[in-house]
Amino acid sequence: MTTHAPVRVSHRAATAGVVAGSLLLLLLLALPIATLVLRSGLAGLGQLGVDAELRGALWLTAQTATLATLITVVLGTPLAYLLARDKLPAAPIVGALLDLPLLLPHPVAGMALLLAFGRASPAGVALAAFGLAVVGSRTGIVLAMLFVAAPLYVSAAREAIARVDPRYESVARTLGDSSVRAAWRVTRPLAGRGLLAAAVVMWARSVSEFGAIVILTYNPKVASVLSYDRFTGEGLDAALPVAAVLVILALVPLLVLRTLRASAVSGEPAR
Amino acid sequence: MRRLRALAALALLTASARSAEAAPLGARASADTVVVYAAASLAVPIRAALDTFARRTGTVVLQENGASLELARRITELHRVPDVIALADEEVFPKLLVPRAASWYARFARNRMVLAYTSRSDGAAGVTSANWYRVLLRPEVRVGRSDPAMAPVGYRTLAVYRLAERFYRAPGLAAHLEARTPLALIRPNASELVALLQAGELDYIVDYESLARANHLRYVRLPMEIDLGDPAHAAQYARASVRVARRTDTVTYTGAPIVYGIGVPRGAPHAAAGARFLAFLLGPDGRALLGAHAIDALSRPEFVGDSVPAALRSAFR
Amino acid sequence: MIAVEGLGAHAGQFELRDVTFSLPAGAWGIVLGPAGAGKTTLLETIAGVRRAHSGRVTLRGADVTRLPAEQRGVGIVYQHAFLFPHLSVEANIAYGAHDRAYVADIARRLGAAPLMSRAVGALSGGERQMVALARALAPRPDILLLDEPLAAVDPRSRTRLRRELRGLQREQSLTVLHVTHDFGEAGTLGDLAILLEGGRLVQAAPPEALFRRPASAAAAEFLGAENVFAGIATPLDAGTEDEAGTMLFRAGSMSLVGLGESTTATHAVIRGEDVVLSPVRTGPSSARNALDGVVAEVVIHGALARVTIDIGDQPLVAAVTAGSVSELGLLPGSRVVATIKATAVHLC
Repeated sequence: MTTHAPVRVSHRAATAGVVAGSLLLLLLLALPIATLVLRSGLAGLGQLGVDAELRGALWLTAQTATLATLITVVLGTPLAYLLARDKLPAAPIVGALLDLPLLLPHPVAGMALLLAFGRASPAGVALAAFGLAVVGSRTGIVLAMLFVAAPLYVSAAREAIARVDPRYESVARTLGDSSVRAAWRVTRPLAGRGLLAAAVVMWARSVSEFGAIVILTYNPKVASVLSYDRFTGEGLDAALPVAAVLVILALVPLLVLRTLRASAVSGEPAR
Repeated sequence: MRRLRALAALALLTASARSAEAAPLGARASADTVVVYAAASLAVPIRAALDTFARRTGTVVLQENGASLELARRITELHRVPDVIALADEEVFPKLLVPRAASWYARFARNRMVLAYTSRSDGAAGVTSANWYRVLLRPEVRVGRSDPAMAPVGYRTLAVYRLAERFYRAPGLAAHLEARTPLALIRPNASELVALLQAGELDYIVDYESLARANHLRYVRLPMEIDLGDPAHAAQYARASVRVARRTDTVTYTGAPIVYGIGVPRGAPHAAAGARFLAFLLGPDGRALLGAHAIDALSRPEFVGDSVPAALRSAFR
Repeated sequence: MIAVEGLGAHAGQFELRDVTFSLPAGAWGIVLGPAGAGKTTLLETIAGVRRAHSGRVTLRGADVTRLPAEQRGVGIVYQHAFLFPHLSVEANIAYGAHDRAYVADIARRLGAAPLMSRAVGALSGGERQMVALARALAPRPDILLLDEPLAAVDPRSRTRLRRELRGLQREQSLTVLHVTHDFGEAGTLGDLAILLEGGRLVQAAPPEALFRRPASAAAAEFLGAENVFAGIATPLDAGTEDEAGTMLFRAGSMSLVGLGESTTATHAVIRGEDVVLSPVRTGPSSARNALDGVVAEVVIHGALARVTIDIGDQPLVAAVTAGSVSELGLLPGSRVVATIKATAVHLC
């Protein structure tokens, strides 16, 4: 291989390439959103005042997403802790199990849920004993959201906990705390922002879910199902304001995440 | 390093050149592609017909399924125009598509409404053509229905209920039957109802006979006077009218025999290929195929409108 | 007291194996060893925050191997303080304490009182370790494990903290196990020195014995012995079963008389400070070794000097004062006689 003197032109070309590629991708992402908001944003917000069905769908979406997130935080945080601290012997299997729902096409996930929890399944019969059914119900919506979004939470929570040096817990234990108490008093506050960010991601993902939900529960309609319904049933003009409102509301979790990241805790030692 | 880069570039060029030759998507494709929009209850039969057509002619075939009204709006609102559109209600043509999106269409198949169920359905053992409505009224039975704003099967079911009220001389029957389906069990199209029935979430649905037979569901025939299947009873059917209140307007549907419509819309990208497929579907081979999928094809299609392609008209004189 | 028997533990890929030693109550134990020898792992296994896979840990006479860390009554201070960032200094110190009055007391004792209401992030390295020590001592443990706690502290604070620690240890009869790299610290503080290498215990002995009679050449080199010679030993006067015998040790062209356990000794260890230099042979003395040599190199560090002398083909290092170098006129090329007592030549 011949050696040649380093050429400045190739560095500039490389930088230009990187910038151009990045701009292209960002444009691809920003253009549809900007178009939607500029075209129908105001109409959509105005619609909120008169459109009871839209308000109802938004409210239903918020409720179910919040419930799904709360359930996942309670059940998933201890699991994330065990994974982060390498305390699970079957960690690779658990990891794969957590990744699978993310890889399933959403309608496929919905069908799997229908088979596993529908009225005709053993789980469905058990649920019926508690007066719960997954088809055509809030339960189904929460279940679908949980299925597609919980893996995201557990992964992110695991990262957040893993970033907290386990030696903090060791020190707390020598000071008299049991493992559980040490994790609660020390690791939880230190991982707090990361956990909150993970919950926000899960909430946002739940709100945007469509494919898995619509298989189980078409009615009552969450916002994503309503937007599709308006589109197929009434046309683009009727659907656009709904879509724009959803985009604007999606900014809320986004802003929350930005605020959390900006005020990250500093002063932790490198491992 | 330079040599490697040059080799890589050369490899890429030859690969893309070769693939350009192989893929007919460039010049040849536009002459040999046909895109079909099919109503949910026609999805499987159209799929079979397209596959046969593709094998015989080498045409590239693409199919999109949906509720009839949804498909019509895809053309009128989104301006995504297929080469052939096949709908479960021929009335959608004059109501939504003609004259702007289509100038002609053909009536090509009939259907009737039946009560479909499975062996798992509550009361399956005892349901008959005579007592079906009493079975549906039982509180523990789960009855599904389609959204009348979205799919013809939705408003047709409501029409059947109204005709039943008249036929059985049971005032209030229609309202009771309608109320038997809570919002949670309303779905946007006919096929989803079948799916839920198969999954055990529903016990009974009023749906097309073709779907019931194609999916090997159990079903009972309804009286001819109310099942929207016999053109001789058209006047009787017309006595039922269903008002569907949508968000922005209210539409009234009058009961009519179920007739399926098919056509090549205006501005179809491959109109000639579309007409060729239509000729196949409406011809003896196509009709046999439809029959095998429980679609009751008319022995001769009835064309409506002017500017029907001459080739088609002459083929079915 | 701390006693471990056949103790083994995993730390990722690393394994601590078969460590056995016993530290009496109220004693100050020093743990020495190169990086990666397992010193921290040993401490963590004794504290109970790391699980032992074999062997036993006995604290105060009771087997605590299965006992969780929070019940062992052992305090630990890491090299990095690991102060809880979300709590104030006072809350940190009081974290495990039962007696608020004692919290204030111990904080004052270690000089952390003015820092009480401060946030942890605003402290200097020395201040952090002060707080970490106070936090570990606040629950009044009787066993304290220190993992190089003063390594990152400035020299002045280090001296002061060391003094305070020693004082507290004596007052409260704390049993301390202290990992350190600093041999000076080891010498001044330790009652027992434990040398680890590669996850195994090499030697456990009072510091003096460790330095004077290291168990192996590698240990000797780690402990900073300036002279480690390889060679063959033959007995001169046989010793009894309990005591070492005198042997003749040949390393190259050099012959040494030294003390050793057996003729299987392969190395001779001589500390630089045990080599006495003079320009001429003195008369008969009790020193069994008087070696003729030529000064090869003189390196001066402040008041001390390292003089390297060629004894035939072997380099011998003597640690003397800079003053004596100039007085004796020791320059490269000068002839000198190196005198070493047999008791200072350790064969291992």
